[in-house]
Amino acid sequence: MGNKKFLARLAKELPDWVARGWVQAGTERAILGHVAAQRSGTPLLTYAFSILGVLLFGSGIITYFAANWGEIPKLIKLAILFGSMWLVYGAAWHALRNNHAPLLGQALLLLGAVLFGANIMLIAQVYHIDSHFPNGVLLWSLGALVGAYLVRSQPMLVIAIVLGWLWTTLESEFFASRNHAHWPFLLLWAGFLPVIYQHRFRAGLHLAMVALLWWSVYVFGMYGLIGDTGSRLYLVQFYFLAYLSVFLIGMLFATFGQLADFAHTVQRYGIFAALVNAYALTSPSMQSGQWGHLWGEKTVRAVADSGYVAITFTALAVMVGLALWHTRRTGGGARPVYLKWGEALIGALTLLILANLFLAGVSGGWVAIAFNLLFFAGMLWLIYAGMHSDNRFLVNLAFVFFGLTLLTRYFDTFWTLLNRSYFFMLGGLLLIAGGYVLERKRRQITASIGARHEEGSA
Amino acid sequence: MNLGLRIVIIVVLQTAALLVMVGMKQYTLSTGAPIVLKTEPIDPRSLFSGDYVRLNYSISRLPLDKLAGDREFVRGDTIYVSLRREGEYWQALSLNHALPMVAEGQIVIKGRVEFINQRAFPRPGALAEPGKSIDVKYGVENYYVPEGEGRALERPKPGEAVSIRLVVDRNGNAAIKAVLVNGVERYVERLF
Repeated sequence: MGNKKFLARLAKELPDWVARGWVQAGTERAILGHVAAQRSGTPLLTYAFSILGVLLFGSGIITYFAANWGEIPKLIKLAILFGSMWLVYGAAWHALRNNHAPLLGQALLLLGAVLFGANIMLIAQVYHIDSHFPNGVLLWSLGALVGAYLVRSQPMLVIAIVLGWLWTTLESEFFASRNHAHWPFLLLWAGFLPVIYQHRFRAGLHLAMVALLWWSVYVFGMYGLIGDTGSRLYLVQFYFLAYLSVFLIGMLFATFGQLADFAHTVQRYGIFAALVNAYALTSPSMQSGQWGHLWGEKTVRAVADSGYVAITFTALAVMVGLALWHTRRTGGGARPVYLKWGEALIGALTLLILANLFLAGVSGGWVAIAFNLLFFAGMLWLIYAGMHSDNRFLVNLAFVFFGLTLLTRYFDTFWTLLNRSYFFMLGGLLLIAGGYVLERKRRQITASIGARHEEGSA
Repeated sequence: MNLGLRIVIIVVLQTAALLVMVGMKQYTLSTGAPIVLKTEPIDPRSLFSGDYVRLNYSISRLPLDKLAGDREFVRGDTIYVSLRREGEYWQALSLNHALPMVAEGQIVIKGRVEFINQRAFPRPGALAEPGKSIDVKYGVENYYVPEGEGRALERPKPGEAVSIRLVVDRNGNAAIKAVLVNGVERYVERLF
């Protein structure tokens, strides 16, 4: 909690504590003064300026040497490159030992990581190395990752994740073989996790989850560019199950003391990504294979090939395994009825996904209707589940997807049936009225959750 | 483990990674056998590093039908190209997935398949012919020059021919040893 919020809360609570005799009368002012005088957490502005300064300084070094490079002998060049890196790490050690200047120390560690990357580029230049250039970015990311692990540096982890992200983007953009996702990224991504866990890096976890979503989008964009009929549909189905598993991993985290800190973040990214994919599955164009036309695939759906069948069943097995594990960890006793409804919905959706692997031809439209019915039922269930578990995030997310899907179906259905002017007028009215009703309902529910939270904490 | 030791480990690991980069090229430069390739430089400018000349060799695009050895390649494959001297320059003779036995008078250079073309191109600028060809990179396609000098190599004066002397080690790795204009050294790479 931020210092200001804590102070306001304390000022509100103190009179009650005095009245109950927990705090001696007349000391409120001293307590509040003492708390106000304490600085909260990290001085963010100082930190931000240090990091920005380091990045600017690093860029300056690179461009200075680049401009004067030709005149410097090779051995001197190498001495400058290695010497500057060693010097910066030495300065970081000096700043960090005995907690002498921790912020400066972290900034210098980041500068060390930046110089390591600059050295990779400059050595490639000195020796005219023109091999597979994403490898240089990977090497840089690994160097920063090792640093982040050894000296507990979140800035180094951030740069490692961003570089990992850049690496997979370069590989996918410039070197992707058709029908081959850039799977090695997942190995690097897995390497981020021990560092995040070991040092409790929350910002690192957010960034790692965003990087994973980004990679998923890239695979979607690159996967199956030739003739692999229906591949994107089956990939989206796989994603849905996989991200539902990520959500369940978040649920499991909540039952382990050491991992509980990460539970909410993992759950939120997992459920968000699962809903994005479920939303994509409600599209009639995707189900009928017409989407493929945009990507150079055939426009008529075919049965999934054995690879997609295998990964879908694997994801399903993982999901079921995680769900059973979670049930065991939470005791598995009497459970609210709504949870059983949720399981039934996910079960029905899973059966539809499995059946969908083996459907072909023009059956897409009917499958889309089934997906839509289950999706809308799922959103209503999610709102109910969010209310029951006092989870405002779930409620808000469910409302957003409910509204978005409703709007999309309106476009899908009436775009060709109605005169354009009627289409827009009716659409506008529905948007205004529907938006008002949905927003009002959402506010009521989240306010009631907020009120329950207040009561609980009072 | 104390902080100092942790930072020392970072420095040692990062330095070792950079030294491997340096060492591999130094090994090739000091032990490799020289070959000369005909080239047509093109000159993009690097944001961070002044000028560099992009080198396009006569062995950068290889017609599969006209060369011996393996025929099936996909993008990203490692390829070993056997070269033989023909006059002043070295030309491709055969293609292999693995390092072949090196015959007398030949040198094998290692590359990576970048593209598969459904047409063959007999020489740069010529019309396409039936047959497949592959574009190959050997890791020696960039040559950094002092700022402002890239243009001179990109657009040589009439009568000037630019060629590159490479050295190729026994594993097929190549490094640029010198840039030649009309057979005379314009830039030479020394060990240190």
